[in-house]
Amino acid sequence: MVTTSPGLHPLRATDTALADADAVDATLAASGDAHAFERLYRRHVGRVHTLVSRMLGEDADDVTQEVMIRGWQKLPTFRGESAFGTWLYRVAVNVVLNRRAQVGRVRRFLVRQPEEPLERPGREAPVGAGIDFETALKGLSPGARRVFVLHDVEGYRHEEIAGMLGIAAGTSKSQLHYARMALRRHLE
Amino acid sequence: MTHPTSKQLSDFLDRELAPAEQAELEAHLAGCGECAALMGELRRVIARAEALEERPPRADLWPGVAAAIGAIPPAPRRIAFSIPQLLAAGIALVVITGVMVRWLSRERRSVVAEIAQPAVPPVLPAGARIAAHGYADAIRELEAELAQGRGRLDTATVRVLEDNLALVDRAIQEAQRALAADPGNAYVSGHLARTRLRKLGLLRQATALTHVSS
Repeated sequence: MVTTSPGLHPLRATDTALADADAVDATLAASGDAHAFERLYRRHVGRVHTLVSRMLGEDADDVTQEVMIRGWQKLPTFRGESAFGTWLYRVAVNVVLNRRAQVGRVRRFLVRQPEEPLERPGREAPVGAGIDFETALKGLSPGARRVFVLHDVEGYRHEEIAGMLGIAAGTSKSQLHYARMALRRHLE
Repeated sequence: MTHPTSKQLSDFLDRELAPAEQAELEAHLAGCGECAALMGELRRVIARAEALEERPPRADLWPGVAAAIGAIPPAPRRIAFSIPQLLAAGIALVVITGVMVRWLSRERRSVVAEIAQPAVPPVLPAGARIAAHGYADAIRELEAELAQGRGRLDTATVRVLEDNLALVDRAIQEAQRALAADPGNAYVSGHLARTRLRKLGLLRQATALTHVSS
């Protein structure tokens, strides 16, 4: 049996069983059961870390930990309207964006350095440039990287991404296009 | 149809174009090798993105999360004994050692009385002296052994041990100050000896743990 969940790839039956376990543990954790929250942590930490690292373009153990702590703090606001994983990944995106905003403010204050320009590869760009795909992903501008990760890696729609990132859906489409065009040069 | 822009090709892949535009572009792709090639690359980028593997954190982040949310980290499986069992063993060790020291103290006092050396009162009464015999060396050895093996203990156990050792050290310092002020006080000297033995017992217990955990 295949079901769908907004912003995620299609779920299989095993995923549905996990979603049920998540729902039970989320309810227990919201009432203060730390063991239930640990089970949620074990099931989701890998994907949260992957998402956070790719969005930031760097390894992000500390941010992942912050996401999990924020998830615990915000559990009372989890209504079960979406899968727990979907909810937690949104928490992760918010933590990443808040951190990005903080870093940006500090950088502007200290060095008045402008934001990294959006990469705009031309159609004539050569294919294959000798670095792996993950490394190439890190080389994208922050905006293009975030949209690419959320759309092509995590499966969110442009409307959802626009809501999460606070941008227009058209901007999300443009960023995705630039990211794809840049990354095609790094296909093995 | 003129060549579509790469942005249109990207939107085509995501089915973001109007149905008529979608059909028109599909027809163009059937007859245009250049656009079909670019489309193939974009498809491969998407396939590559979907195939990216999960990257778990390098270390288990749960202890940090648990500490931050006020939860107690789960007990590590590598320790074969429970904390109550270890505490019971430690208390038994202290009691047995205390009884032996008291017995030895009485023996020593009787020997001292027999050979009758009343001229210079000892700085430390007998109980404390006996407890102190070889004490510093034993403590040094155990501390060195513990320092080598502490990496095999989990952080919660290390924290409990350090707290206990700090308490015992403080008690020893207080007893030493009291004894310096009142060298003839038998109660204080006995208390000092017992406290030193307690430290010895704790260190033995801790080093034993490092062996259990290795």
